[in-house]
Amino acid sequence: MAPREILKIENLTTYFYTWAGVVKAVDGISLDVREGETLGLVGESGSGKSVTALSILRIVPMPGRIIGGKIIYKGENLLEKTEDEMQQIRGKEIAYISQDPATSLNPVFSIADQLTEVIRRHQNVTKEEALKKAIELFRLVEIADPEIKIWNYPHQLSGGMKQRIAIARALSCQPNLLLADEPTTNLDVTIQAQILELMKNLKKLGMSMILITHDMGVVAGVADRINVMYAGRVCEVASTKTIFRNPVHPYSRALLEAVSHVTVKRVQPKIIPGAIPNLISPPSGCRFHPRCDFAAAECAAVVPQLVEIEPEHYVACIRAKEFMENVKEVKL
Amino acid sequence: MPIKTNVLQSILYKIKHMAKSSMAKYVLRRLLYLIPIFFGILIIVFVSTRMAGDPVKLMTGLNPRITAEARERLTQYYGLDQPLYYQFLKFVWEMLHGNLGNSYAIRGGTAVTTLVGDYAWETFKLQLTALFFSLLIAIPIGILSARKQYSKLDVTVTTTSLIGTCIPIFYMGIVAILIFSYSLGWFPYGAAHSLDPSRYPFGSYLLDELWHLFLPATVLTFAELAPVVLLVRSSMLEVLRQDYILAARASGLSERTVIYKHALRNALIPVVTYVGLYFGGMLAGAPITEKVFNWPGVGRLYVEAISKLDFPVITGITVFVTLMVLIANLVTDIAYAYIDPRIRIE
Amino acid sequence: MKAGRKIGTADVMKEKLLETPDKRRTDGVSQWSIAWRRFKKNKAALAGLIIVGAIIFIALFSPIIARYPLNYLASFKEENKIRVPPSSKYWFGTDYIGRDVFSQIVYGAGNVLYVGFGAAAIAMILSITIGITSGYLGGLVDNILMRVTEIFLVIPFLLILLVFLRVAMTIAPSGVGGLTTVTLMIGLFSWAPNARIIRGEVLRVKQNEYIEAAVALGASKWRIMFRHVLPNVLHVIIVLTTLQIATAILVEAGVSFLGFGDPNSVTWGQQLQMASEAVKEAWWEGIFPGLFITLLVLGFNLLGNGLRDALDPRLRE
Repeated sequence: MAPREILKIENLTTYFYTWAGVVKAVDGISLDVREGETLGLVGESGSGKSVTALSILRIVPMPGRIIGGKIIYKGENLLEKTEDEMQQIRGKEIAYISQDPATSLNPVFSIADQLTEVIRRHQNVTKEEALKKAIELFRLVEIADPEIKIWNYPHQLSGGMKQRIAIARALSCQPNLLLADEPTTNLDVTIQAQILELMKNLKKLGMSMILITHDMGVVAGVADRINVMYAGRVCEVASTKTIFRNPVHPYSRALLEAVSHVTVKRVQPKIIPGAIPNLISPPSGCRFHPRCDFAAAECAAVVPQLVEIEPEHYVACIRAKEFMENVKEVKL
Repeated sequence: MPIKTNVLQSILYKIKHMAKSSMAKYVLRRLLYLIPIFFGILIIVFVSTRMAGDPVKLMTGLNPRITAEARERLTQYYGLDQPLYYQFLKFVWEMLHGNLGNSYAIRGGTAVTTLVGDYAWETFKLQLTALFFSLLIAIPIGILSARKQYSKLDVTVTTTSLIGTCIPIFYMGIVAILIFSYSLGWFPYGAAHSLDPSRYPFGSYLLDELWHLFLPATVLTFAELAPVVLLVRSSMLEVLRQDYILAARASGLSERTVIYKHALRNALIPVVTYVGLYFGGMLAGAPITEKVFNWPGVGRLYVEAISKLDFPVITGITVFVTLMVLIANLVTDIAYAYIDPRIRIE
Repeated sequence: MKAGRKIGTADVMKEKLLETPDKRRTDGVSQWSIAWRRFKKNKAALAGLIIVGAIIFIALFSPIIARYPLNYLASFKEENKIRVPPSSKYWFGTDYIGRDVFSQIVYGAGNVLYVGFGAAAIAMILSITIGITSGYLGGLVDNILMRVTEIFLVIPFLLILLVFLRVAMTIAPSGVGGLTTVTLMIGLFSWAPNARIIRGEVLRVKQNEYIEAAVALGASKWRIMFRHVLPNVLHVIIVLTTLQIATAILVEAGVSFLGFGDPNSVTWGQQLQMASEAVKEAWWEGIFPGLFITLLVLGFNLLGNGLRDALDPRLRE
């Protein structure tokens, strides 16, 4: 039984045309999100995860432009829709939670104003009804005293509270797909856990979600499948279980090792040497090869394609087969 | 939801909460804060004019027929024989009673307050018209330019504005008069009214006034326009990069709402501050503007007073302009607090 | 490269790839040469530099460039005419007493620059001292200095300037150092906005770790202020100075236009004032000096904006 896809991205390409040159932020990625599932989109900052999310909503900021590919949502290509049609989809069908709760709420409007405006944009309700819905949303994201708190301005609230409100705003019109861009990154550790718990509960509402993060630890408990991205391309796709048990792409492995293994073994968290490449003139062939411990000569020449190496497990690495065969040996 | 949500209760809370919000307290605080600044400026103005020289000596120095005794009498008459601090306190005392002294030179000692009152209207008419239109034009242009960053329109707007900020107002005025008054003959050169009622267009006083106002107001509007356009543009660009704009777009709000509600309100914060200070600068620059257009305002009165060394008028106008600048500051503060809740609610 | 790792072909390639722009930028190259590289790419900024350079050149070589001696009543003496329109003999025409407008503009360049640089120097010395002291020491000192700054920020200084200049003229009708008086007064009254900006910048720098480290090492307050804080706000100071020169030139022109300039030195504002009496009869008398004021102010503004873009560390990718 093939699970139904709510979103299917094919060969999406988004470039930024800057003075310094063309930044190839997202360079031909493909992925799919199934109904009711949570897809973890993992990679270092600068790997094109956020740009992917913004491309789905078609709100890539200047000087970025989507130059190719297809974004099929419920059977329709979003890239062929008019701006007006997209506005009806944003917030109502597909909602977005941005990285930084400190800056994602407009500082000069009250929370009530910012929530009701979204509700009234997509639902035909009166001001009072919208306010009532907003207060109920506050309950949903577990904020105490919603009737009072709703009149606050962002500067009066804590970071965790702001992120809850951003989540509430995203949920206000019961979207079918939620794009959560690093929802916990800028929060304190204890608050992070609370927000993650909240996200997990949201899964029960039955919506699909793309959870974007650089932290394998965050997706571990929440995501059903994981999509590892590096420098604007997809490296590896598999279920969360598979990625954690049997990561094949050297980059996925490096990411996993970057998560503290202290509980398992007494080893130092490994740091991936080097920095994410300059995407104006990215490395030829496999973009990870300059930082890869296992790079072969041909890695610089051949662009690896995503290949299904076992059912439901796709890897873009020319040495994938090799790694699959002698996992133990290569795994250090 | 099992819990009953009480919307009414929430709205009632809002009303109570808003009433408690400290806008009035904030305004009062700003007002109290401006008073020492006013007196600080007053001291500088007073001392600097008095330090600048003895008005009696300056007035009579070139006239050899005035005796030393006559000079002394004059000094006593103006109260200039008293110590400086006494003169200052007396001046402040009189000022608080609405008296800025009498002119040394104009019509046998006209009260300075009367003089300023007569001339201030023309100054305000010109300055406020220009300020109003420059904001009206500059804000939409600045927004448009920011939204289409690096487009041909944006490059044209920024280049023109940048050059505009470099042209001295009097030069702009002279060129405008040269073209529109002398060459084309569309507008009168200088003055606020025709002296002869028979020259009123269609016999209307109001039309005559507008006809005279048009050229100076247009030039001043353009002079004030340029820096505001650049400021609105850069402020808007900064705001458009913010996360909350992205979040607003992601919520499906229309482009209009995103730009004119979410972005503009934030982009206006620095603009408001600037306009307050800038208006003060324009008022202080009135002598220049009013000389170019031969405009009968306080600026021209001031230059005349200086040429006659009419000290009470000089001090009086400076006090008046300072007061206006501070009022502009207060209005700025209020607008600022209105726009930005972070100022109003601690 | 980190030690202890296997060396293979990939590593060699890695070495090469790491030498792409990213690496070059962080190694050895000084902040100033990076700024210069960025500045060179900015056409508007280069235009500003050329304008300013050209006018400095004119000022330095004015006796050679000018076509007639200073204040020589050329057309009056030679043809018994005044206000002669532009011609090959008088490029920009002659003025109300028959002086060659072009030559007078050339002689005025030095005076205009003198006021611009002089007033900016005074204003900047004041604003740097007050800004850094206020921002670094904080507390009561900051409070007092900022209240004083606020007074100077709202004071209608053109009005006060006019009184001073008028009195200076009456006391010393020969106009001794008239231009210096104008320069001094503009400088003394225009430091406030810059002091505020520098203070803000210092507050930002103060939070950096290297300042805390210097404090922990027991460096004296004054040493920290001028050895550690000053160099880090230098880029702001350079930009503000350039823009301040432009402002001072505009103010001098305005004051001269009102007839309060030094009657014994030629400046473009004064030429414009004399011309404004008779724009109808002799447009050339005012158009050209005004054009030069605009050009010079534009030059300094373009230069200032270009320097800001080149020097602002926050703009560095």
